[in-house]
Amino acid sequence: MWTVTTLLCVAGTLLVYLTINSLYLRYKHPLINVVGLSAAVIIIALLLCDLPYTAYEPAKDIMTALMGAATVSLALPLYRFRKLLLRDAAAILCSVGAGAFTAMFSAGLMVQMGGLPREVAMSILSKGVSIPFAVQLASIYDGVPSLAAAFVVATGTLGSLLGAWSLDCIRDTAPFSRGLTLGTVSHGQGVAAALQENEEAGAMAGLAMILAGILTAVFAPGVVWLLRILA
Amino acid sequence: MQQTLIFFCQLGALAAFAWTADQVVKICGLPIPGNVLGIIVLFTLLCTGIVKESHISAAAGFLLRHLVFFFVPVAVGLMNWGGVFYDYGWALLAAIVVSAALPLLVVSKLARALRHRPGQGGERQKEEKPCGQ
Repeated sequence: MWTVTTLLCVAGTLLVYLTINSLYLRYKHPLINVVGLSAAVIIIALLLCDLPYTAYEPAKDIMTALMGAATVSLALPLYRFRKLLLRDAAAILCSVGAGAFTAMFSAGLMVQMGGLPREVAMSILSKGVSIPFAVQLASIYDGVPSLAAAFVVATGTLGSLLGAWSLDCIRDTAPFSRGLTLGTVSHGQGVAAALQENEEAGAMAGLAMILAGILTAVFAPGVVWLLRILA
Repeated sequence: MQQTLIFFCQLGALAAFAWTADQVVKICGLPIPGNVLGIIVLFTLLCTGIVKESHISAAAGFLLRHLVFFFVPVAVGLMNWGGVFYDYGWALLAAIVVSAALPLLVVSKLARALRHRPGQGGERQKEEKPCGQ
């Protein structure tokens, strides 16, 4: 429904995004995180207006209508870097595979050791992949899909907040490995962060995100089995 | 004027393409998300030359420049989960941080180690340019 609230939510989100994005483009400071800051401003505004998330949801649906088109557009940077991708196929596959496995196993193990319910552990496994994939995986392994979506968003936000900074800390300066890492660790938000750096990092991140999604589904039965043994 | 028209045609084509990929996944019950299939198919079409770069570059470039925008409304959804994160607190936070930090180290180290084979480091730097521009 196109209510006044919905229109205000769309307009407000656009305004907040454009303001923070122009601040980011001007200062390029790592602490100006477009996703994190914009979301924080909007959440505070919603809480101040006493609006629940359900009031914001129609606006979210309108604004994310083009998300599919935007994700599919990632084929373009992939195509521009196709020679690079083919030549380093082995390095890409090994590092992304190892990363996807580490992410699943460490998350599942820590939640299990922390004494959390089993369905929480099953929901956190897919936290490194994009939302439609994570939700599907969670329901296959008796997790909670909405919880899985929350973990995905939390991981993505963490990655876009601290990913580039962490890579600076371990002195990784190559767009190749920076892109692969960001895409594997924090899916779409990592790709967006990598695209802010340069096109090569963006292309590698897009590829890493796709591979991590596929490999996470492939590894899932093994990781679930391992966690059951260790429990 | 014509530029704007071309832009919106491209945007419509990309949206229709993404929607079709979603429907194919749903109807065939494929175990991958629609956007992943969409990327793979569009990449193949570009490689085979059926779709030219110029057919989509205006709209695709715009969408990619603003890709982070689409995650803002999604991230707002976290406000619903304050309770869960409050109840389970530190264990969840630790799990999320550690399971992001470990693979970050693994991928970054492995990617650099596997790629820089002896004697090839120098030449490779020069070749790292986008092809087909």
